[in-house]
Amino acid sequence: MSTTTTQQVKRGTTLFALVFSSLMITACATAPDSPEGASEARNMLTTLQNDPNLADRARVEIREAEAAVRVAEEPLPKDKAALGEHRVYMADQKVAIAEARAATRYAEAQREQLGEQRDAARLDARTREVGRARDEASKARSDAEAARTSKEEGAAAASRQAAEYQSQIDALQAEVTDRGLVLTLGDVLFSTGSAELQGGAYRTLDKLVTFLNEYPERRVQIEGHTDNVGSVEYNQELSRERAESVSHYLAEQEIASQRLSTSGIGMGQPVASNDSASGRQQNRRVEIIIENPSRR
Amino acid sequence: MYQSINRRFGGRLRGYLGLALAVILVSACATAPVAPTAALVEARDAIASAEQAGARQHAGAELDEAQQKLVAAEEAVSNERMAEAERLAREAAVVAELASARTESAKAAEINREMGRSADALDEEMKRTGDRP
Repeated sequence: MSTTTTQQVKRGTTLFALVFSSLMITACATAPDSPEGASEARNMLTTLQNDPNLADRARVEIREAEAAVRVAEEPLPKDKAALGEHRVYMADQKVAIAEARAATRYAEAQREQLGEQRDAARLDARTREVGRARDEASKARSDAEAARTSKEEGAAAASRQAAEYQSQIDALQAEVTDRGLVLTLGDVLFSTGSAELQGGAYRTLDKLVTFLNEYPERRVQIEGHTDNVGSVEYNQELSRERAESVSHYLAEQEIASQRLSTSGIGMGQPVASNDSASGRQQNRRVEIIIENPSRR
Repeated sequence: MYQSINRRFGGRLRGYLGLALAVILVSACATAPVAPTAALVEARDAIASAEQAGARQHAGAELDEAQQKLVAAEEAVSNERMAEAERLAREAAVVAELASARTESAKAAEINREMGRSADALDEEMKRTGDRP
């Protein structure tokens, strides 16, 4: 009898333990959950906290959002669903506020940077402008200087050229006339009654060659003249031959023949009276006219 | 004598207990029907300042929501659902605050865009002047 009682008690205890433990388990299983939406709020907050541009810019707001999310995550019994909804709503808004405030501050920070960039750009532009102005000024200055020097140089060169030209003319003992430079080869430079050049003529003609090489654009007209002794035809022929003889010599000295023209004038253009011997001698001559350069 | 003191003390204690109970009961009765005035005021202030900041233009949806919540809170007050009224008032306040925050950030972004545009224009101009010989 007593043993059965003990057995019964034991069985009762086992049953009780079983019931208790199963109760415990079901209690665990049906323990109130976090309200719906709380995990979404948490996710949003985590995203915000992990955003390197935003996380540090709204610390206070994020802390408030964190607190709100934690409240929203608190498990609530089923009958307090409205409270849970409210808490989730509050948490959502707080996270969104934190995000907006952080975004505002981020934009402000960017603006500062933007402003700095713009200032830098402006400064750069101004510096460049000043630099350009300076460059332009110095360029203008150097241009002016160059112009002056080139003008001076030009003037100097021109005067040098003129001087040289004059010295060449002097060397040729040429006469400056409207037709050009006139160089006269006198009668003494030709053999009597012949077109053959005498030794002295070559010195003068060599100077002429030098001059013509110096001024390659100048053309040369070679005219033969005589006195009135002898027939017109004879004199004409002789004057032409003398002129041609000069031309021939110049051509030999490699003066282009296109630059040379010859004519026999004869006795028609005396420079002195044929009445005296010295006058006649002056009239027997070859005139070499170096034409002035054609003006452009 | 000792007994009378004891009895008097016991009576006073009983009186205090009764008073405390009455206070608790009264306050319990009082909290239920009292309107969440502070929360409502806060919500109205938050909505007003959001409107002032220009939320109508930049965060219209949030502002609308705040106003709807406030209306709902006021209805709950008139129906004497005070707990609900308080929650709604708080929600109205928080969403109004969000409207303000989003307005600010929208304005800030707009200013940045504007600055970006003018910076680009400046860049463009500088490039042009830079090209000039």
